[in-house]
Amino acid sequence: MSRAPVYHRRMLLRTKLRALSALTCLFASIVALAGHDNIEVDPAFKRYAGLVTALGRPDPEGRIYSFQAVQGGPARTKYVPDELRGWRLTVLAGKRFAAVFEVQANTESEITVTPLDGPVNGLAVRDVFVVENIAVTR
Amino acid sequence: MKLGVLRVALVCLIACAPAAIAQGARIPSEVVDAFHAALRNKDTAGALSMLDRGLVVFEFGAVDPTVEAYAFQHLPFDMDVAVATRWQLETRRVGGEGNERWVLSTYRVTGKQADGTPIDQTTLETVILRRTGELFRIVHFHWSTNDPAFQARAQGQRSKSQAR
Repeated sequence: MSRAPVYHRRMLLRTKLRALSALTCLFASIVALAGHDNIEVDPAFKRYAGLVTALGRPDPEGRIYSFQAVQGGPARTKYVPDELRGWRLTVLAGKRFAAVFEVQANTESEITVTPLDGPVNGLAVRDVFVVENIAVTR
Repeated sequence: MKLGVLRVALVCLIACAPAAIAQGARIPSEVVDAFHAALRNKDTAGALSMLDRGLVVFEFGAVDPTVEAYAFQHLPFDMDVAVATRWQLETRRVGGEGNERWVLSTYRVTGKQADGTPIDQTTLETVILRRTGELFRIVHFHWSTNDPAFQARAQGQRSKSQAR
């Protein structure tokens, strides 16, 4: 009876470690290979990259609006709760490549999107995304 | 009620149709211009929609081997540059046939860097596009500059990061 939760936690940890490893590899390959543009300018807006580590629970109709994530970048810090509210989230990989959502709320590790742009179904663990401090244009 | 929803959906479909057709009718050079416009307009998804999933980017001697790698790390910076600078098209040649086309462009890029240093240089751009269905999408970018000092600087930076 007590083994299932422990196993579940181990699986979650393993998934998270795999995701972190994938993120590190992605960054390592980019940092090592990519040069910088020769122009250094201020960022157009604040943004964070991220990597999906788990999907949220679906609603009774099977629609998913939240997922667990780790922040990308060398610092890989946690998200500030609700800092991302109203920000635009764009998926950068996988089946939902280029899909856009608006963040409704976030914790340090979970992001919930508004239903306005539909559910995130199709998003997968290890997909990468960017959240940007700009409104979604509809 | 359901009929009402269907009517709204139909109206939306009709309203969106011209845009979809226009996108499908794009010629290769328009795809390139649309990509740059999307960057300038801070439209991440719009820029991504011009890219083929098999994209490979060569930029100043560096490689983004996948569209994900480019989108994850490089596209945001290219967007910052597009917003902060003015890209004036100076020359353009197009070619290819069938489903494979190329667009060669040179741009005069002007503006100011974050530290106030003026920017005035020529950026060279090679784009290869592939048609899938009705749409041309970008499968390859190659950017470089006429500024030899930068080329040396960028390659020096890469050598350092590879040595680490």
